Amino acid sequence: MLAIKNLTASVDGKEILKGVDLQVEAGELHAIMGPNGSGKSTLAHILAGRDGYSVTGGEVRYLGEDLLQLEVEERARQGLFLAMQYPVELPGVNNMSFLRESMNALRRARGEPEIDTLSFMKQVKEKARQVKLDEKLLKRSVNAGFSGGEKKRNEILQMAMLEPKLAILDETDSGLDIDALRTVADGVNRLRTAERGMLVVTHYQRLLDYIQPDKVHVLADGRIVRSGGKELALELEARGYGWLLEEAAA
Amino acid sequence: MILSPSDYKRGTLQGIESLPMSSGDWMIDRRLAALERFETLGFPDRRSEAWRYTSVEGLLKQGFTAPAKSSQRDRDDGIQNHLLEIATLGRLVFIDGQFIEEHSVYPSEGVRVTSLKTAMATGDRQVLEAVGSLSGLGDDGFAALNLAGFQDGAVIRIAPDVRLDGPMELLHLSTDRVEGHKLPTRHLILLERGSQAELIERFISEDQQSSYFNHQVVEISLAEQATLSHKRIQMESRQAYHLSDLHIALQSKAAYYGVMAAIGGCWSRTFISNRFQQPDAHCELDGLYLVDDGQLTDFHLDIDHQLANCSSRENFKGILRGAGKAVFDGLIQVGKGAQKSEAHLHNANLMLSRQAEVDTKPQLTILADDVICSHGTSVGQLDDQAIFYLRSRGLDEQRARALLCQGFLAEIIEKFEHQALIELLNRRMNFVGLTEPETNHESLG
Repeated sequence: MLAIKNLTASVDGKEILKGVDLQVEAGELHAIMGPNGSGKSTLAHILAGRDGYSVTGGEVRYLGEDLLQLEVEERARQGLFLAMQYPVELPGVNNMSFLRESMNALRRARGEPEIDTLSFMKQVKEKARQVKLDEKLLKRSVNAGFSGGEKKRNEILQMAMLEPKLAILDETDSGLDIDALRTVADGVNRLRTAERGMLVVTHYQRLLDYIQPDKVHVLADGRIVRSGGKELALELEARGYGWLLEEAAA
Repeated sequence: MILSPSDYKRGTLQGIESLPMSSGDWMIDRRLAALERFETLGFPDRRSEAWRYTSVEGLLKQGFTAPAKSSQRDRDDGIQNHLLEIATLGRLVFIDGQFIEEHSVYPSEGVRVTSLKTAMATGDRQVLEAVGSLSGLGDDGFAALNLAGFQDGAVIRIAPDVRLDGPMELLHLSTDRVEGHKLPTRHLILLERGSQAELIERFISEDQQSSYFNHQVVEISLAEQATLSHKRIQMESRQAYHLSDLHIALQSKAAYYGVMAAIGGCWSRTFISNRFQQPDAHCELDGLYLVDDGQLTDFHLDIDHQLANCSSRENFKGILRGAGKAVFDGLIQVGKGAQKSEAHLHNANLMLSRQAEVDTKPQLTILADDVICSHGTSVGQLDDQAIFYLRSRGLDEQRARALLCQGFLAEIIEKFEHQALIELLNRRMNFVGLTEPETNHESLG
């Protein structure tokens, strides 16, 4: 589904990614861990198509296409979703209308008719309940004045409504208390299917107490320095990142 | 043709003399005094602080003159095309500055509605005393000329304790017959003790080419515990000049809620003066403006707190595109005796182009020590992160920008309350069109 080969990228002339290789198949959930500044968020942003990064080498294929050639919205319409670390506040843009417009943009791209009001309302209420997002927040402006936890729940709600083929979660666990963390994890687990790929970027192991990854990768200094099963995450929890960095440097 | 102030004086005198004595003589002394005042003041120029950023040269160059005396009009003005789906209790229609009786609908109970011309003709003492009582003879030449030369307007009086359960409308329609003319009108809105009303005022044009000068002075007086909600939409022709002076006076526990939109015209200025005549009154002003190539929009606020326990809140937002220009000058003065005042003033501007220009000047002067006041301004662009966020959810870039522009003004737009007004504004502002690529002005120049 997603194949990243020797990806290198820089920001303002500084090389951040120094040759990343990663393959995610449908049905798999991969976790990318690593110390701050290792390039985890850069990788997530490049996949979603955010400006400000120059890809200097390598390639990314998504569903057989050259992902990096696609516009941001085209990626979304082809089923790629990024849950952001810092969801943007959009004053004056109604949360529910935005969600519906987004769903319809994706449906149109798939040649499907727009969703009718009744089905939409039913679905959004049901899914808001699942992620424990107060229904009142659906009627407010997108993320405006939401707490950190509410913003993340709203991201998970969007993910649940848009039903992406490939979901990327960029530090969705950061700044969450244990209840919110559990809700976010439940949201992710509910979406795990044989058709969907997921890439969970996280700094801490604790999210992986609730989400069982198929594979864990450690990104350090712009490279994946170690890949393994979920036991790798536990080892990192116990030993930190230091030993891996030393090994990688050796 | 550039007219000199003495040309304006001569033209206005002719206008006064042409008034039938039955209507003219009640006011004639004040009209002549105003004309004298105009002679002293002349037209403002940029040396005057209030006109520093807004040049009147373009307006004066047009040499607008008063329209020929009540030319027989084609009575079917297609006014039906301009009505909105709002259940109004009454409507006063002005076409080309003249009150049109047959298009107007009057509410019956608790409200007295009449044209100013009729009120003057019948020597209505309350009206004659009220005209000019809030505006004075005028602080600049324009206001003085209006008082000297106005021909008609609306008078709306709400009786004590009458609470109207629907809005009334003042509709100003301009046709291509006003090309080259100035249209001085004057409204008087008097709410008696404990009354409540809503007023929707619209300025519309049948086309976007006519060049005319709509000049209006509105005097609004709210007695104790009266409440007025005033919604005002300026959608003049793109070649039109528009000047409005609003003078608001509030007595104890009265509340004025005004929301203004300035979208049309090549040159548009709205001056709002609010006086708290007694303590414990409240004033809210919200406004939005949208300027594009060849447009200048100016809002001037003068909020005067001299008595205790009054509160005011002003929030104006604008979007500037192309080589559009906007001026915002908001002044709040809190006098020595105005303890426990609360006053907040904000102006925000969204710039969609490099050629656009805004001069914004929120001012706050405080002489009392126990007050809560704030003022601020911002000038910014669309947020790249927000555009990325929307696109990452499948919206194309143009739609993302349109949604953000609309979102920027949303808190003001929703103050218009009626769905028909909100839709009218959203349609007229054409947020998607706003985000279309701009013409290259240098290559045109």
